[in-house]
Amino acid sequence: MLALPLPAEDISYRILPFQLHKNIGLTLLIIIVVMVAMRLITNREQAAQIKTKREKLALIDYWAIYVLIGTACLTGYLSSSYSGWETVFWWLVDFPAWAEESDELNILFSDLHKWSCWALLLVAALHISAALYHGFRNDDQIKKMFDPK
Amino acid sequence: MTQNREDYFGSAWLGVIAILFALLFIASHSNEILKQIVVAPVSAVEAGLHADCRADELEEEDLSLQECQLMLANVQIILASSPSWFRPFQIVLSSLGCLLAIASMNAGMSLVQKNKSSQFALVSFVALLLIDIVGFIAAINLGPLLRAQYLWPQIIWIAIHLSLLIPVFALTTKIGTDGVVK
Repeated sequence: MLALPLPAEDISYRILPFQLHKNIGLTLLIIIVVMVAMRLITNREQAAQIKTKREKLALIDYWAIYVLIGTACLTGYLSSSYSGWETVFWWLVDFPAWAEESDELNILFSDLHKWSCWALLLVAALHISAALYHGFRNDDQIKKMFDPK
Repeated sequence: MTQNREDYFGSAWLGVIAILFALLFIASHSNEILKQIVVAPVSAVEAGLHADCRADELEEEDLSLQECQLMLANVQIILASSPSWFRPFQIVLSSLGCLLAIASMNAGMSLVQKNKSSQFALVSFVALLLIDIVGFIAAINLGPLLRAQYLWPQIIWIAIHLSLLIPVFALTTKIGTDGVVK
């Protein structure tokens, strides 16, 4: 998407990928909010049982993923809002243009979006490494993640 | 008396790797579908339009003028080098690839949970390998500019899916408690 030509009157390659990108991001943001709420409601007792360093690290990683996904989605939306581009959620719902076009704020939120995505990749790599670690140890930790009962 | 190799060695690590690569495969093929949908053959670029590289846009995107112009050239390469069969072929192949990757993700979860036979994973990885081989054959039949873009990723995916297929194949073989393959 980033390698597609800049938009112009006759060149509109970026429109569909960017709209799709924004739609997926906004949907993810809604899912993350619901997941965080669910986790806060259901997992309070489980969090209290965490004792070892590794368990604490896993919890930090877990929350870092939630926070970074939320930040990436929110800053992306803010950047788009200040760019002057319209947001039509899944081509159905027109989001109101609540912000005036501002190049400075667009660049600021665009940078925050970019860096939160890089940080998210780093945390995701840690998460994958942890999954592989438990997979190679064959200690049934991953099995518990899929089926906590 | 025999037992499955997956009971003997454990297969959770293979399941994790299968899920990881399935996700990357879906991302790669979804991008390909989007690319083929967006870069349609009948377009203004074919008419020889020039890139609109405004100074403020270049600053905003952190691009040089040359990079901005080359972005259009990139699209022109796709349009000029794609045979007429390539676009619909890629859309179908990538869609099929995404569906099979979802199946292989399911197979990965089964390997972790050990709740299904590894035969399911075996079938998923064989199907994905076939998708890679068909993609590879398509890539070698393209012009040099597009071939350079597609050939290397295809070879990498063949190597990845082969590396998943062989351990799963090994897991499906039965071994006796004495360690002898039956």
